[in-house]
Amino acid sequence: MPRSEHTFPLAQGIRRALVIVVILFLTLLLFLPRQSQEWLGQVGDPLAMILETPLHAVASMQDSLQEIWNHYIALQHVWEENETLRQKIRELEGERNLLKEQAIITGQFQELEAYQETTPMMTTAARIIGRNVSNWYQAMIIDKGARDGIHAEMGVITEAGVVGRVVRTNPTTAIVLLLSDPNVAITGMIQTSRDQGIIQGTPQGNIQMKYLPPLSPVQLGDEVVTSGLTDDFPRGLYIGRIQQVTKAATDLFQSGGIAPVVDFSKLEGVLVITSFQTSTPASQISPEPSPLP
Amino acid sequence: MTVILHMLLCLGIVVAQASLSTFVSAHGIYPDFCLVLACVMGFIAGEYKGLMVGLTVGLFQDLLAPGGIGLNMILKGLAGTLAGVTTHTFSTVTGPTVLMVTLGLSLGCGLASLMVAYPVLDTVVFFHAFSTILFPQSLYNSLLALGIFWFSNKVRHSMGVVNFVQGRR
Repeated sequence: MPRSEHTFPLAQGIRRALVIVVILFLTLLLFLPRQSQEWLGQVGDPLAMILETPLHAVASMQDSLQEIWNHYIALQHVWEENETLRQKIRELEGERNLLKEQAIITGQFQELEAYQETTPMMTTAARIIGRNVSNWYQAMIIDKGARDGIHAEMGVITEAGVVGRVVRTNPTTAIVLLLSDPNVAITGMIQTSRDQGIIQGTPQGNIQMKYLPPLSPVQLGDEVVTSGLTDDFPRGLYIGRIQQVTKAATDLFQSGGIAPVVDFSKLEGVLVITSFQTSTPASQISPEPSPLP
Repeated sequence: MTVILHMLLCLGIVVAQASLSTFVSAHGIYPDFCLVLACVMGFIAGEYKGLMVGLTVGLFQDLLAPGGIGLNMILKGLAGTLAGVTTHTFSTVTGPTVLMVTLGLSLGCGLASLMVAYPVLDTVVFFHAFSTILFPQSLYNSLLALGIFWFSNKVRHSMGVVNFVQGRR
């Protein structure tokens, strides 16, 4: 049975009237002046506050979701792009290092080339393509051989100083024994005192100057150069500095340890001396002109 | 075909020795790849292969070494042969055997090279060379040979190759 059938007719009339009154009241509100509507706003503020709280909550949730979306999901392609860029950076860094390395090598060879042009000796530039193939020799392999006019006993230098001597040639390569090998011996002299001796390597990989005159005033730091008495090196090429002087009571000669000017482990290019003037005729030596008063 | 492969292997080893030795050096000591190859070939394939590979790799090494041609060829050939003979005639090819035989052969070859490279050596220099170059290098060689032997054994077992030369004859 419908519930409306049990309600009183009076009550139904009151409800209808109430609805009509509310509608009329709301309609009247529309026609009231603005100032009169302010009290309605004051009534609505608490309601608005009640509504605002979930609204803010929803909005902040929305923001959070938006942030999550933007930063983690929608940015998936950015992450990929980032990885691609990182890869690109790595490639460019590798390329930059390669170019830097080429520039360094080019610089070294330019120095060699400049020295080659200024030196009166005939030299052939060569690149080092290999190092020791045995622990018992201090040697290196260069990329010029018999076909390039290189042969055994030729001296090998850099713009800094003496490196060693060619001991064997193949058609396109040559084996150079370094100055620090005991099997290499060249003549050298102390640049200041002009005392001469034999420069030879030791099994430990050091260089020593032997057979220095007993009364030679050799001192630490003295510069040692080639004396030009052998056919492989001209006079005056820098070898190194005296770093140790020894003379036992029973020894006839002095000997000195030499710190070489060339770092053999870092060499990448060398010059092979193919020919040079061992001496200048006395007739061609002219005294330097003295300045006019 | 096998001969060509062996020759290519020898060539590759010598080139690696000339170009990579500085990268694998420990305190200035680097292994003798050529000796290691000859010994390992002797251990794995017997004295004949050890001899042939040793001779070939030694010849290639001589071509790039300052000493006269023949020394490394003879030494490496002997090392390959002795590695094969020692491990296949008097002993079984085990890890410790490989280590000890390579150490002994490396010391022997090193002493011979030392005598040829520095004919005039006083006792002090000789012991210095022995303690700072010869022994460390021999140890390095033997450890490398052991590693390669172990690895090649693993590979051959995984491929199902029967190690028919192993053990006493």
